[in-house]
Amino acid sequence: MAQDKGVLIDLTKCIGCGSCTVACKLWNKVEFNEKAPMVGTGAKLNDKNWTVVERREAVTRQGEPVYRYVKQQCMHCKDPACVSACFSRALQKDENGAVVYYPDLCVGCRYCMVACPFDVPKYEWEKALPLVAKCQMCATRLAKGASPACVDVCPTGAMTFGNSDELLQTAKSIVANDNKYIKHIYGAKEIGGTNWLYISDVNFVELGFKTDMEDVSPVTYTRGLLSAVPFLAVTWGVFLTAMALYSRRRRKLEGKKGDSDDEE
Amino acid sequence: MIVEDKVSRRSFLKLIGSAGVVGTGLVASGCSGDQAGGKGWMPSQYENKGNYAAKVKGRIAIDEDNPSIMRDDAKCILCGQCIEVCKNTMSVYGSYNLPIKKETPCVNCGQCVLWCPSGAITERTDIDKVEAALADSDKYVIVQTAPATKVALGEEFGMEPGEIVEGKQVAALKALGFNAVLDTCFSADLTIMEEAAEVLHRVVSGKEPLPQFTSCCPGWVKFCEYYYPEMFDHLSTCKSPQQMFGAVAKTYYAKKLGLEPGKIVSVAIMPCTAKKYEAARPEMNAAGREYGQDSVRDVDIVLTTRELAQLLKKNKLDLNGLTDERYDSILGESTGAGKIFGATGGVTEAAVRTLYYYVTKQTPPETLLEWQSVRGLDGVKEATINIPGAGTLQVAVCHGLKNARTIMKRLKSKDAPWQFIEFMACPGGCIGGGGQPRSAVPPTDEVRKARMKSLYQLDKAKSGKHASYENAEIQALYENDLGKPLGERAEKLLHTQYTDRSRLLSAKKE
Repeated sequence: MAQDKGVLIDLTKCIGCGSCTVACKLWNKVEFNEKAPMVGTGAKLNDKNWTVVERREAVTRQGEPVYRYVKQQCMHCKDPACVSACFSRALQKDENGAVVYYPDLCVGCRYCMVACPFDVPKYEWEKALPLVAKCQMCATRLAKGASPACVDVCPTGAMTFGNSDELLQTAKSIVANDNKYIKHIYGAKEIGGTNWLYISDVNFVELGFKTDMEDVSPVTYTRGLLSAVPFLAVTWGVFLTAMALYSRRRRKLEGKKGDSDDEE
Repeated sequence: MIVEDKVSRRSFLKLIGSAGVVGTGLVASGCSGDQAGGKGWMPSQYENKGNYAAKVKGRIAIDEDNPSIMRDDAKCILCGQCIEVCKNTMSVYGSYNLPIKKETPCVNCGQCVLWCPSGAITERTDIDKVEAALADSDKYVIVQTAPATKVALGEEFGMEPGEIVEGKQVAALKALGFNAVLDTCFSADLTIMEEAAEVLHRVVSGKEPLPQFTSCCPGWVKFCEYYYPEMFDHLSTCKSPQQMFGAVAKTYYAKKLGLEPGKIVSVAIMPCTAKKYEAARPEMNAAGREYGQDSVRDVDIVLTTRELAQLLKKNKLDLNGLTDERYDSILGESTGAGKIFGATGGVTEAAVRTLYYYVTKQTPPETLLEWQSVRGLDGVKEATINIPGAGTLQVAVCHGLKNARTIMKRLKSKDAPWQFIEFMACPGGCIGGGGQPRSAVPPTDEVRKARMKSLYQLDKAKSGKHASYENAEIQALYENDLGKPLGERAEKLLHTQYTDRSRLLSAKKE
């Protein structure tokens, strides 16, 4: 099995230029919309903004108020809840670890939106036949051995692409050797680990990250039950069929008995 | 008959049901088609990881609240030229350590606008504000025009770079409906009156340090505030011509014309994007403070040369077809010294002409009326001039903020014999400003030279008056209102203070 690929984002290096957001739209051929900014205070993910850089106000450990720019996109979880929730297999984890969406398989049920703990898949509100959209981690680029478009264009090198285990080690050593970083790597353990990791010099809570997550993927809670569904469906069907046949036979036999009673 | 109906409905439903099951099966089984995305493109500089000499990637950051510039992402091609000019010519990008603090360090110079090939980065538009003011019959809308715009506006109408359109610009502004069209060159002369007096004062009294730095370039001033706040004492306290004009317009001019200052809307046509930032600086409300209305700005709206061209085109005005008109008084007269402000070295030449007069009470000699040593596009220029009775004056001139760092380094290592230094952020001076007409390729020295040549021509063309002190309207202003240069009233209206911004970033050690 191929290694999971990932990206380490060093939030101390982001200057909020938005090159990554432009590269994403260029590579994925998604429209620009002035009314839905990709960078700044109001920047939000939506069906056309697969990655955004939100400006947050935060306070450093030294008590200094600062701006921090936080890149948001699909976390490409190691055990994705959306993949588990999707019964039509429109979301799949590919061999590079990217969680890839196939719109042709999607029925638009939005279970993935309910399942995702990071609220990543976004609905296509404007369309008549709406589906969802999210970062694909440029899976076609990864297949060729290249890095995602956003990583390629970052002028400050805030993002590093590589094997996700190696990146975790890198993150650990950076955080250990430099006191300015918070001693936490976001994505290392959250919901069982994600392939996109973050390190920061400011508390993750202030940056808008969800920090009340367990160390296991939500999938673990439903995996047993969900994987039993096909078996149960078939077994129940067999059982009901058997019951139906039995009832029919009983009725038939009762009918014959009645007939023979009549004859006497 | 009834039995047949029942059978046909049932078989119909069976048909639909099985079709549904088959359909779901097909969908679930995986005619998956292509994944979403990935059908676009990336500029080839990111795809060919070969041996390009220039490995530029990405673009500069522009704060959402930057008053001078903004960007249309749909036009950005991630070429990286904005980074190149901001880093290599201005030494702002890359001059600070990460992480950032509460600001994206930016001096608002607008060179990124000039270097952006797709026109994604532009000035932040204020045309609608001017239109609203012009439409408001309750307001008296005045406009000042910077010298650099007089030799560049024509380029937006198909004329050659450097074509002098001073008179046509006045006609165009009058046609737009401005109540008075006045001249920044007038207040440039005013700036010289104050600044030359200040140099003299520094030399004679020894109270404030030398060399004196010019302060008319808001990009340079902000740069100094970010990186060299310890040198504030060297910065001239004089405001820029734009801001001096603003203060005088809402006091002296308002009084002379019997206007209520609150009814005046003061617009400026500038070659510069930083002037938008400068007009909004909190301390630039000297006139307002005089009337107890602190919220009244000295200058209300700044339009770049390009914006003026857009406004003219919107109103179907073609500069080519207009006949020259003259500026209105009493803030419309200017000498050649005021004109050459727009060129690098121009402020120095203008200042020394009047300084010479202040010291010797004589008209400046021929050398000072064509001081070649401070003219031209060399990044750092040095010159000396002998002023009889005072000695040798040594000056330095630089343009492009990277060259400002060169000067500062020499200052720190005491290799700096100058008494006066002119700093301009934009290469070429204001004629190369971020608000000037531009094309899809970065600005060329040819265009800069053509524009500068025309400014010096305007200086020559004005027969008789080449030095600021000769300006009759300026003399009247001092006589009737200001008193004398550096006097109490002048200090109040025409001088300013600076803000230490070094805490807003973590500057890299040089």
